[in-house]
Amino acid sequence: MASPVIEAVDLEKIYEGAGAKTHALRGVSFSIEEGEFAAIMGPSGSGKSTLMHILGCLDVPTSGTFRLAGRDVAELDLHELAEVRRSTVGFVFQAFNLLPRATVMRNVVMPMLYTRVDPEERKERAAQALRSVQLDEDLWTHRSNELSGGQMQRVAIARALVNDPSLILADEPTGNLDTATGDSVMELFSRLNDEGRTIVLITHEPDIAAQAKRVIRIQDGLISEDAVQANAHIVQYGDEAAGKDGGA
Amino acid sequence: MRFVDLISETLHSLTSNKVRSGLTILGIVVGIASVIAMLALGAGSQASIEDSIQSAGSNLLTISPSSPGGQGSGFRMSASSVQSLTREDADALAELGLITGAAPSSQGNAQLIADDMNANAQVLGVTNDYAAVNGLTVANGGFITERDDSAYAQVVVLGSTLAEDLFGIDIDPVGEQVRSGSMLLTVVGVLEEKGVSGFTSVDSAALIPLSTQQRYVSGNDYLSSITLTVIDEEQMTTAEESAEQLLLSRHSISDPDYADFQIMNMADMLDTVSTVVDTFTALLAAIASISLLVGGIGIMNMMLTTVTERTREIGLRKAIGADDNIISLQFLAESVVLTFVGGIIGIALGWLIAALGGGLLGINAILTVNAIALAVGVCAFIGVVFGYYPARRAAKLSPIEALRYQ
Repeated sequence: MASPVIEAVDLEKIYEGAGAKTHALRGVSFSIEEGEFAAIMGPSGSGKSTLMHILGCLDVPTSGTFRLAGRDVAELDLHELAEVRRSTVGFVFQAFNLLPRATVMRNVVMPMLYTRVDPEERKERAAQALRSVQLDEDLWTHRSNELSGGQMQRVAIARALVNDPSLILADEPTGNLDTATGDSVMELFSRLNDEGRTIVLITHEPDIAAQAKRVIRIQDGLISEDAVQANAHIVQYGDEAAGKDGGA
Repeated sequence: MRFVDLISETLHSLTSNKVRSGLTILGIVVGIASVIAMLALGAGSQASIEDSIQSAGSNLLTISPSSPGGQGSGFRMSASSVQSLTREDADALAELGLITGAAPSSQGNAQLIADDMNANAQVLGVTNDYAAVNGLTVANGGFITERDDSAYAQVVVLGSTLAEDLFGIDIDPVGEQVRSGSMLLTVVGVLEEKGVSGFTSVDSAALIPLSTQQRYVSGNDYLSSITLTVIDEEQMTTAEESAEQLLLSRHSISDPDYADFQIMNMADMLDTVSTVVDTFTALLAAIASISLLVGGIGIMNMMLTTVTERTREIGLRKAIGADDNIISLQFLAESVVLTFVGGIIGIALGWLIAALGGGLLGINAILTVNAIALAVGVCAFIGVVFGYYPARRAAKLSPIEALRYQ
């Protein structure tokens, strides 16, 4: 078995607000192996966003150990975290977060500006990433604000792929899309997973989570359920059992 | 991040909002242009004043009557009422070793009447030496001779402007007659145009023999100035001292503080005038730099707005792996590029304004290296200082907060 991409042991996160302490994570342990497609599911306030921030190296846990691609990141400083994000994590956001006035190409190339990839190689890698998200080549020179929501999310996924990250972390990637488009994006994730990408997606929608191979449920800062699903690729509308979730 | 990428990203985000970038640049352009224009006009007027003083001759000593006492307050202008210098003083001064020429003159004003035109002009009583000492050339006719002077001859040499005023441009004034009070002066010559030299212009003056002037115009035997030429510029100080000693002894004054004359050195005058012009230029530049400051605040304002507006973009860039330093570098680069572009346009525009304004004022605007260096320095300073705070603010945003920002 390959070394785990994510190895979380007893993660705790405590936010100290004005006098009040919020225990967002109360000891979360799990690991995700290379090539997995996992959904982290939970209602708002469950701590799933906090977990995502830690997994994405945007934040550090208050206590516990977190290894990303074999590297202990719990105690890194801000610069080192930025370096880890740059090389190891590909983010996909609910709101796409593309630069609206920049072309598709420019958006996809952007992460490579921070990793000092040769200009020649950048174009090549961006084109490769865009092809793998099946975005029509005619659109590559369009500004990103001229695209449809589904196209934008494909661009965002291509952007997440260009630095060849160990982990793709998608935060509610279908939240701003209609069902059909959302499904096509989920199919894309499945396909990327089939190609060997490790994908973790954060969602509160059971239908979306159902399309992952594994669902980790978070409730009140703790993992309440962690289950592997057999036929994850088959979308089963109205079949709550497929997601093993009664809904949040 | 590579430097080319930094520049490319910077230009891209600046051109994404052309109107705002343009207006911000405009603020800097106005500031830099006004500073450059002021400095160029200042340098130009200084040069033209220096030129005119030097064209009067930098080896000149001008002696004028002065009220005794209170020396040390620079040169005083209230000299016309004091009567202390005589033609004999001038003759004695001319005998001094380092002095090559002494031109006594007496100054007055009179109404001059030609056939059908008249003019109120400065009437200078001069000797033959005056032309050589002051570097005057006669365009037409001759100059006042020693014989004219000793004979109280009623002859006049007209300045170029005055000749035109009295006779127009078509008539050759030489041989014509000009009336002034009880004098009937025959025009014997017209001077070539000289321009302003020192503080007086001979172009609009009438030159008559000193003896004639003293008898008919000023009515006394005193002089309003004696101009000396010194053998060479290196000897100015020595010559000045010996002239002072001679005059003091001739006027029987023992304490130099009570001298009834003062000697003005053209070099000193040049210094004084330069200082005045320098101060004036600095004042104008200081006023102009206020607009530069306003331009700088404009940059900061725009950058702060940009940081707020692009919060999500900053969050994204950080999530993708840009660390604080790169983010602040990117924002700093934007403000530096804005000031840089504004600075270049400003220098060009300022130079244009100075050239046009100089044309109107009759000054040759001079763009000095110092002025450009100052403008560039100020630009860089503004770009960095006013860009730094917004840049740090952008960099300090937490990526999590920034990504959530709506």
